[in-house]
Amino acid sequence: MKKAIVQIKNLSKEIKGKKIVSDLSFDIFEGEVFGFLGPNGAGKTTTIRMMVGLMNISEGDVVINGHSIKSNFEEAIKNVGAIVENPELYKFLSGYDNLLQYARMDKNVTKEKIDEVVELVGLTGAIRQKVKTYSLGMRQRLGLAQCLLHDPKVLILDEPTNGLDPAGIREMRDHLQLLTKKKGMAIIVSSHLLAEMEMMCDRIGIIQQGKLVDVQTVTELTTEDVQTYSIEVNNNETALKVLSKHNAQLVDDEIHIELTREDVPNVIELLVENRIRVYGFKANAKTLEDRFLEITNV
Amino acid sequence: MLKLIQNEWIKIIKRPGTIVMVAIIILLVGAMGSFVKYNEHKKEQNADKNWKQTLQVQAAEDKKQLKGLSDKNDPERKYLERTIAINEYRIDHNISPNEKTNVWTFMDVSSSLIILVGLFTIIVSANIVASEFNWGTIKLLLIRPFSRKKIIMSKYLTSILFGFAMLFILFVVSNLLGLALFGTGSGNTSYLAYVDGHVEEQSRLIYSAKLYVMSFIETFMLATMAFMVSTVFRNNTIAIGISILLLTVGNTVTVILAGFFDWTKFILFANTNLMQYVNGTPPVHGMTMTFSVIMLLVYFVIFLGLSLVVFSKRDVTA
Repeated sequence: MKKAIVQIKNLSKEIKGKKIVSDLSFDIFEGEVFGFLGPNGAGKTTTIRMMVGLMNISEGDVVINGHSIKSNFEEAIKNVGAIVENPELYKFLSGYDNLLQYARMDKNVTKEKIDEVVELVGLTGAIRQKVKTYSLGMRQRLGLAQCLLHDPKVLILDEPTNGLDPAGIREMRDHLQLLTKKKGMAIIVSSHLLAEMEMMCDRIGIIQQGKLVDVQTVTELTTEDVQTYSIEVNNNETALKVLSKHNAQLVDDEIHIELTREDVPNVIELLVENRIRVYGFKANAKTLEDRFLEITNV
Repeated sequence: MLKLIQNEWIKIIKRPGTIVMVAIIILLVGAMGSFVKYNEHKKEQNADKNWKQTLQVQAAEDKKQLKGLSDKNDPERKYLERTIAINEYRIDHNISPNEKTNVWTFMDVSSSLIILVGLFTIIVSANIVASEFNWGTIKLLLIRPFSRKKIIMSKYLTSILFGFAMLFILFVVSNLLGLALFGTGSGNTSYLAYVDGHVEEQSRLIYSAKLYVMSFIETFMLATMAFMVSTVFRNNTIAIGISILLLTVGNTVTVILAGFFDWTKFILFANTNLMQYVNGTPPVHGMTMTFSVIMLLVYFVIFLGLSLVVFSKRDVTA
């Protein structure tokens, strides 16, 4: 059993009589990426703000590395590096001066450490430039550098890929993988983007209307026994006949069929044997999305 | 805590606006210097050669007026006594009131720029919290291992430190420019102070420093208020607006009110000018230095206490 580094205990937030977050409880373990998924307005950001002490906790508590954020803020927050929403930095300072600001607030951060972190996020070339000249991707990387300076045990990233281009998203993903696997950090990311979460996270907690609906590991969600595949062929009617015992259906000029992974080569063989030309054969990786919508649209 | 102040200081001085503020102060002192220098010879021509006679006449008139005062506690009384004593001292010791322009008279003139220092300090202290909210950087600042009280105190202290730095710049620049343009002056340039019924000659440098620091009290209180308003309402525009309005008209309004109501003495501005106990009369009869200092402390505690409490409890949603 891995050690739970962050424990969320019956966390609730009430603003003007309205429950934004109610009775949230879950643990996050060392070395895992935990995804916090939910539609806009579900209470993701509020939860994260309570976890880092930006918002007062109405009920319950957040315990980070054994310290309560409520009663022992300074000890608890030492273990945390975070970006809450956009990484807003001082635009009139250079990237390096920004990092120096945060470095001064922790006794253990050395000059070498700053250089190391800058190297890690790939900003060495631009670190002396003013932040106002940075692209969003560069700011995101500087934001990441800022939370890595003090070697935290927990990284909390609220919508870390917001506004990033595909290359930036991929890069962010690689960074996070590296940090969890090599340094054993626990990372909490929040997002409303399913596909992204699926690629990034080990476990996903789904939150809706302030309540935790479900926590699942990602493998559980995706490699189910039966999956839907769509097949594109030259002759739909013949193909449907050939595949009749597999319960095939014609949807939008494509054949949809439910198969186990083992069956895939067999089906292709069957089609080829019947002289049907196959132009496309792909797994509909929509299971998470379906699951998500299924869960959140009750 | 020192590291926090260092951080705040860097954030202030690395902004272009700050350099502009320093430049404005230096430029205005320069302009004032050239203006005074240009008018210097005119002033000398107009100088009263028979100042001893003039002072004698004036002293005699003042004495007459003093006798006419029936009330023993009339604030006018103290003022008259002081003027008479100083004028007689001038006559006895041959110290002309028509002092030739020198570094010290110039510094008295340039002390009128302290209001500008006040303006800049108010702007900085109104922005130091509010802009972190505007930029969104407050989030990264508050998730560090420091309590909110330490963060807000470091910001407050830095803005006051900024005010003192600006005041110091003004003092040094006008001192140096005054020395360069007018020199230390000829004859006796001591400050004539009226202490316990007799006249004392005091160092002019110390008097100038005192004048600058005392004039800064109002700025200091208004900056604290601007800080409080911007922390509580998270709106620097309101904070700057109210503070500048009070900085410019606060005194006048207080003086007008003082003519009608006794409670005016509890208004902040009736108490900010401590120089009124050194060389003037307080707006409301019966006010003392101790009373004013206590009032200032009360206001200070309220302003700073409100900022601390509100900032520490606030949900940050920026």
